[in-house]
Amino acid sequence: MFEFCLHVLTLACIYGLIALALNLQAGYTGLLNFGHIAFVGIGAYAVGIGHLAGWPLLPSILIGLGAAMVLAWLVARLGRNLASDYWGIATLAVAEILRIIALNQDAWTGGAQGISALPSLFATASSSAQDLYFALTLMVLVGLFAWLSLRLAASRFGRALRLLREQPQLASCLGYNLLTLKSRALMVSAALAALGGSMLASYTSYVSPDYLLAAQTFLVWSMLMIGGLGSVGGVLLGTLLVQCAYSFVPFAKDYLAIGSDVAGALRLGLVGLILLGCLLWRSGGLLPERLRIMP
Amino acid sequence: MSPLLQVSGVAKAYGGNRVLESIDFEIRPGEIVGVIGPNGSGKSTLLNAISGFTPVDSGQILLQGTPLQSATPHDIVSHGLARTFQLPAMPEKMTVMEVLLAASTAEHGFWSSLLGTRANRDAERLGRERAEQLLDELLLRNVRDNAAAALSGGQKKLLSVACALMGKPRLLMLDEPTAGVHPNLRRDMVQTLQRLNEQGLSLMIVEHDMHFIRDLCHRCIVLDRGHIVATCTPAELSSNESVLEAYLGRGAQQPKVAIA
Repeated sequence: MFEFCLHVLTLACIYGLIALALNLQAGYTGLLNFGHIAFVGIGAYAVGIGHLAGWPLLPSILIGLGAAMVLAWLVARLGRNLASDYWGIATLAVAEILRIIALNQDAWTGGAQGISALPSLFATASSSAQDLYFALTLMVLVGLFAWLSLRLAASRFGRALRLLREQPQLASCLGYNLLTLKSRALMVSAALAALGGSMLASYTSYVSPDYLLAAQTFLVWSMLMIGGLGSVGGVLLGTLLVQCAYSFVPFAKDYLAIGSDVAGALRLGLVGLILLGCLLWRSGGLLPERLRIMP
Repeated sequence: MSPLLQVSGVAKAYGGNRVLESIDFEIRPGEIVGVIGPNGSGKSTLLNAISGFTPVDSGQILLQGTPLQSATPHDIVSHGLARTFQLPAMPEKMTVMEVLLAASTAEHGFWSSLLGTRANRDAERLGRERAEQLLDELLLRNVRDNAAAALSGGQKKLLSVACALMGKPRLLMLDEPTAGVHPNLRRDMVQTLQRLNEQGLSLMIVEHDMHFIRDLCHRCIVLDRGHIVATCTPAELSSNESVLEAYLGRGAQQPKVAIA
């Protein structure tokens, strides 16, 4: 049971990193990125491809972060003249293009089979100790990036982002270069999402094109909507809640003696129900973003 | 004295609709210039053209010798030209104080903000001092910690003026600053703008309220159907034939009750 809880916690932490990254774009900057999973995928595939090429784990992760930042810069430029909703569709397309490349470039990515037997962060320790170290490392990482997110939101950069989110015309007439602000927010977010992706690949020691499914992006979006867009505490709460709902389903499957396909549907339905309830009764999320009173 | 703002030959058309045609005028340092004219005469388009929100078809706009006609809005602000909007929209999730602090763009880089460098802390401190001062000057002290979107229409106008002043501009362009503002507040606004003008700020004001124009402006530019039809002092407005024609139509007599 302890190991199972550790597993849920580790996954929640990984998704916590990915959700904190999306919060930088969607929560702070107001960017409707529906292709967020592309950055996660790049981080995960960097670990996979690095393993095939025989590189050590750490440089592979760093290359993944760099590649995700380059893609973020391009995506910000790609949509410079698009309205925010159309830009959202463009990002969805970018993520799908990456998934199709991953599916068909067998030589680099292993195609539909993916790449397995990826190295863990703690290759030398025993299996149970490995899991514990992994969970602890991720908790430290989530704590660190949650703190940095809070610090950033209250800083001059974060304030500029929030002004851009709510009143872009005002931000522009006050002298902010909106394109620069958007690209910076997107690049920072991409690096964090790629870190989450490489942690996911390293933890599951596997990467496949399924990691890049659009449904994954919307899962992260649900975490944000349930917890509270723009609120760090809310994002982490939403992530934990969705992960718990996901992990609860296998128990329900055994208890109710239902089939695997029904269990899969139950998983999605459960998240959908929570999301619907939040949208109806708490539209700002469980822990909504609050006004920051300056001392 | 060389002009602060020099606009020459500026023209703008939307399809066949020529909104501005060969506009020439200048604003000298320290001047308060009113821009008046009937609805649809091109006042707001002129303001948008100068502030970079509407690209012009031809002509030149110089701010102390720097050409602005192909610059972006954020570049234009950095040259010392600020503006407000007719219907200022304000953020929901930011307090008045936060909006004011966000209005100073100094040192807002990612790394300097995250690491809290000395330059970043200094910019924040100076921003706070300036914001607190403007809260008092523009009578926003009692709404300091309210959500900016929850202010009244008049208070939003004051806040947008305060935001524009955070960057210490040389020329401030106001788009109908008194529309929807309470008369008492309007009087305070005249005094505040006069005080700022005495400190060296030049103003260009698009306005319909003739009392406001008369109390504040040194000179008026009258626009009608995309042309400047008169340049005169506020006192001369009600006797200027071109102005009467623009507002009341051809053949109009001076009204028995003055416009103002």
